[in-house]
Amino acid sequence: MSMNPFANPLKNAAALCRGKKQLLTDWIEGSHRGSIPFCIALITLGCCSYGFTIGLRHGWEMASYVAIKLPFIIFLTLFINGMLNAMLSLALGSGIGFRKSFQFLLTGFAIMSIILGALSPISFFATLNMPKPGTLDDTTWHGANLLLHTSLIAYAGILAHSRLLHYVRDFADSPSAGTHTFLAWLTGNLFVGAQISWILRPYFVSPELEVEFLRVDPFDGSFYEAVFRAIRNVTNF
Amino acid sequence: MTKEIQSDTYTPPPILSNSPKQDLKQGYEPLEGGCTLPNLINKLLKKPLSIVYELEMKNNVGKITCLLLLIATMSFSVFGIVVGTFSWDVQIWAAPLKIVFGLLFSGLICLPSLYIFTCMGGLDAKFSTVSGMLCALMALTGLLLIGFAPVVWLFSVSSTSTTFLGFLLIILWVICACFGLSLVFRSGHALGMANAGHFAVWGLIFLLVTLQMTTTLRPIIGSEEELFNFKEKKFFLTYWSDQVMEEQ
Repeated sequence: MSMNPFANPLKNAAALCRGKKQLLTDWIEGSHRGSIPFCIALITLGCCSYGFTIGLRHGWEMASYVAIKLPFIIFLTLFINGMLNAMLSLALGSGIGFRKSFQFLLTGFAIMSIILGALSPISFFATLNMPKPGTLDDTTWHGANLLLHTSLIAYAGILAHSRLLHYVRDFADSPSAGTHTFLAWLTGNLFVGAQISWILRPYFVSPELEVEFLRVDPFDGSFYEAVFRAIRNVTNF
Repeated sequence: MTKEIQSDTYTPPPILSNSPKQDLKQGYEPLEGGCTLPNLINKLLKKPLSIVYELEMKNNVGKITCLLLLIATMSFSVFGIVVGTFSWDVQIWAAPLKIVFGLLFSGLICLPSLYIFTCMGGLDAKFSTVSGMLCALMALTGLLLIGFAPVVWLFSVSSTSTTFLGFLLIILWVICACFGLSLVFRSGHALGMANAGHFAVWGLIFLLVTLQMTTTLRPIIGSEEELFNFKEKKFFLTYWSDQVMEEQ
């Protein structure tokens, strides 16, 4: 394998998906230069292309907005949680420090982005087959679109994180400490990531709402309040 | 003496493996008979894994892939013409064109995800091998569809129900595609794929894409005023149920 991941990007991306331990060992130990920029490039490319296909139903403008916002959510989550992730991993006895935890999580998100990037042509085809917003059954199609993309993103996330768990257990001082650290990272990232994605909404543009980069009230409320409201509406409690 | 000779020359019978993985690798050996169109058709039906072996060993990758694509294109065209005989008129050339384009386009948009999902399953194969596997899937599916073509023709000349013929074609497509998918599945195992779960998900996505393609490129059977209907976008289940309702 080449020392610089950019020298053979496709081969390195495939090796990452296959779970080649040697590749990650070299990245974690720092003997391979350029692994962090390589992961950043993978996240940017994969999420941009997938985000573009999500927003395309509402035209080129929304497609560009979502293409920018999707990778931004990941980088912002990693930036905000970076310190916490390192502290948790050390406190849980995995022996994984700040740089390594950042590299691990970046690698996990890079795998997720590769999967999303690979699914982009299918997502593009699905978007082309959906009626334009404002036509008949818009609410149904909005729901179907939301469900489709949420399922695909969740699937990519689960696959990537299961690979990440495998890596973390190998690299931690003990496999159980690795599992605990992984679960702590996952909880923290889900908690913060959900709120960041709430602030950076819209992505799917609900019926009767305008296409815009951010809502006029991005900091109004939280993801969890919205979920609570939705549960209350459904159950009439 | 005789016993001694017998014991010296005695070779134990080959151990027949009951391992399912061993069975999946059966036929993963060099391609005999050369890389020609008739031989590839023969091997696709009898020993398809030998084609995958040649692809992985980088023997005539380009030629094999092109020939497989040619087999797929020819088979889908022939099948399309038989489907077109249901309505005749423009459908006699439009149906094969739509079937060939639709299925090749479906394969093309599913290729990146097939490569990544096989990687996730631990398969250490080259992109050219995975592309070849997909072409083999298409070619085998096409060949099997040709096998079903007389059946389709029989029903197309005797039935006037678009719904019935459409339903029959979908069933036949799913059966043939399952054979093609099982070839890719076996190829994956022969090449060392450890986890087939990801591949099963990909197979489902591929089937859904091809089924949606029947609605995107409608009408493929039956005659309508317009050759394509890109304006009105529908999910394939909605379109099919609409068709059933209309005919009722």
